[in-house]
Amino acid sequence: MPLMPKRIKHRKQMRGKIRGNATRGNTVAFGEFGLQVMEPGWITARQIEAGRIAATHYLHREGKVYIRIFPHKPVSGKPLETRMGKGKGETKHWVACVKPGTVLFEIGGVPEDLAKNAFRRVAHKMPFRCRLIHRKHSL
Amino acid sequence: MATMKAAKRTEVGTNKVKQLRKAGNIPGIIYGHGIDPQAVTISEHEVELAMQHGDRLLELDVDGEIENVLIKALQYDTFGQIILHVDFNRVDLDERVEVTATITLTGTPQGVKDGGVLQQSVSSIHIECPVQNIPEEIKIMVTEMKMDDRMNLGDIELPEGITLLDDAEALLCNVHELAEEEEATTEEGEDADAPEVIGERNVESDTEE
Repeated sequence: MPLMPKRIKHRKQMRGKIRGNATRGNTVAFGEFGLQVMEPGWITARQIEAGRIAATHYLHREGKVYIRIFPHKPVSGKPLETRMGKGKGETKHWVACVKPGTVLFEIGGVPEDLAKNAFRRVAHKMPFRCRLIHRKHSL
Repeated sequence: MATMKAAKRTEVGTNKVKQLRKAGNIPGIIYGHGIDPQAVTISEHEVELAMQHGDRLLELDVDGEIENVLIKALQYDTFGQIILHVDFNRVDLDERVEVTATITLTGTPQGVKDGGVLQQSVSSIHIECPVQNIPEEIKIMVTEMKMDDRMNLGDIELPEGITLLDDAEALLCNVHELAEEEEATTEEGEDADAPEVIGERNVESDTEE
């Protein structure tokens, strides 16, 4: 089941704009390797789920996959063959807004080559350019 | 102990520091031991090399004055690629310091050969050690671990003079059987599972009343 909020304050939202780079959620925090976004955009709940499945299937349930984003934003759409007007459409799906630098997924407990291949498969399912990053040196 | 050259820095503020970075230098600061902090400039390349080699204790030559310092903190850009600023902490060579050490598990556990999975819960630990003996990483041999074995932080054999600061009962790694495959996702049920709107009145219950 794709991710979606349990409770919301408003049923519909405006589109908004994505400005600047990520200043939070841009480091590897839980695992050892992360998949970092290089472009801004929306990622749907289905795309997040597709990425999670691609990673877990490739890893054969070894290690641990962390999802670092959540689709908080409802996107509405009108039904097919409907005339314009009559107000804003109903919510069709949910998206997460991501800024460049955001870490989408993390993997821990597996060797680097395995994580790299898993992330390559995940990156194919993402709507932006992504790259692999490592956990920083501990000081 | 690596040696590095630094220069006292008078340039402060965003624009001046940006010019420093364009020239291949990094702004930094030295503090600690009750002495006034000293702003410095240091070569970006040298800091990167020190980080790649795992050097933490440095002999810093600040315009002829030698200071023993520990790399305390590093600031990176959004993408975690470029070092923006570095913090140095003054230390005495006979001092004990609190640092974080990376843990590396080596070998293939017996339990993994029998079809299990090795799961590492902690990738680094907090330790107290003499400043001259900061380990680059702590290697732990896990070849003896069998299925359903677990290793706690307290089980790590630390080199002499190093004290663990974390909870000794915390899990470091364990070998377990593969988890069951997750159930297939239920698709197209989005309308039924529409989220609850906070503060919205339930129309059906109102009409019943």
